[in-house]
Order: sequence, then C-alpha cells, then structure tokens
Amino acid sequence: MNIIPILCLQSNLIASIQTELTDEQALAFQSALLEKNHKLNTRGIIIDVSMLDVIDSYMAKVLSDLTIMVKLQGAKVVLCGVQPAVASTLVDMGMRLNSLETFLSLDHAFAYLTKEQARNMDE
Amino acid sequence: MMIPQAPKDLDNIFEETIAIKTTQDIVNARQKGRDLAQRYAFSKSEQTRFATAISELTRNVLTYATAGQCSFTVTCTNKKDTISARIMDNGPGISDLELALQDGYSGGKGLGLGLPGAKRLVHTFEMSSSPGLTIIDISICRQKR
Repeated sequence: MNIIPILCLQSNLIASIQTELTDEQALAFQSALLEKNHKLNTRGIIIDVSMLDVIDSYMAKVLSDLTIMVKLQGAKVVLCGVQPAVASTLVDMGMRLNSLETFLSLDHAFAYLTKEQARNMDE
Repeated sequence: MMIPQAPKDLDNIFEETIAIKTTQDIVNARQKGRDLAQRYAFSKSEQTRFATAISELTRNVLTYATAGQCSFTVTCTNKKDTISARIMDNGPGISDLELALQDGYSGGKGLGLGLPGAKRLVHTFEMSSSPGLTIIDISICRQKR
C-alpha cells in the first residue's frame, strides 16, 4: 500500500518522500502516482527527495522507470531536493539518470512546470 | 545513547547482526550502517555512501539467496575508527568473482551496478564465494587527528 501523500496543485501532483521506503512501498508509490495521474489528468509530477539520505540503485530505477511511464501517459516527472551526498553517491555508483529532470528546490521545480505548461497552452 | 570512549588498544567495541529476510531488513540494515557512521563522526557523505553500499549488498542477498545476515563491527584504536559490515548468504554463490565486479554485468534483474557500485563506495571490499556461502566484507575507516 502506498504510504506517501500525493497532493494536487494547479493540475500538478506533488509528493514528498519523507521516510525510507522498502522495495514494495516504492513500487506502491510508483503505481499510486500513475493511477492518480490518470484519474486527475495532471500535467506534471514533482517528487521531493530532500529527506532521503539514501537513493540506492533500486530506488533510482523506480524513479527513472516512473519518469518513462508518466511520459507515456503524456505528463512529466521532475525531481527536487537531491542531497549533496546522494548526488555524489549516485555518480560514484555509476548511475546515469539521464531521463530524470531535477531541480534544487520545490520552488524551482514548480515554477519550471507552470512556466512550461503556460507556454504549451499558448502554442 | 552513550558514546563509548576509544580504548587505548585495539578493541571491538560494538557488534550487531541483522538477519536479512525481507525488504524491511534492507532498510533496517542500511539505517544501522548510517547511524553507526554518524555516531563515529564520519562525514555526511561517508554515511550515505556506506548506507548505500549496505543497501545494494543486502538486496543481493534477497535477490540471489533466500536469506542471509549483515553483521556490523566497530573497531577503535587511538589512531583510527573502523566500521565493518559482513554480509553473508546461503545462495548459489558467484561463480566468476571478476566478472561479477564488472560494471553492467548482472546475474539477475538489476542494473548490474550493485557489486561494482558498492565496491566504489567503501574503503575496503573483500569477497569470497562458493556454492552455499557468499561472504562480502566492507569497511570504512576514519583517521583520528
């Protein structure tokens, strides 16, 4: 069962991972986001990982898979708040998360998504 | 929690074993590793690297064997503190250790980064494997001024 609250703000979903997830909880979170994205017809998803001390290869795979899945649904996932130690660990591990778009803070991520969505509306 | 004083001679001052049976145990083991690194004043980066290495290695236990264990040992001398973790399992073993340590090689469903990735995150990494018993020893150490 998914234990991460998912909020909706101006047709964007926001989820902050505040606790360490087991593999099953990570997968449940992934499918809960896909379901909610489908139901609410959202355009962007922001995942805040600023409280996560550890992102191992499994969690990294769950997040990058999610990005591709959500892209298939026609929306976009952005990540924010990757801790400095987590960033260097991921690189040293050899993890290349090219599919993930990341921002320093929730503020930046939200500003980026709303700006991009406004531009798409104009076109 | 009381912080043990470093004794003058080599001494094992902390030992704990966590059985690895479910994915919750992976979370517990890596939290224990991070807590220990934090308690012995390792940097934030070392804490995360050690915890991530434990996460990768204990996940291998569940992927390739049915159960195993992760034991922590802290050794303090007046020159340095060392935190070691020994991850053991009863799985089929790794037939080619060199191949298993190559980036991108995977015997299972992962990204193939677990073993080589974990090796880069710690200071020492030793592995021995035979059918029915795989032992991986990792450690991080910190010199005292």
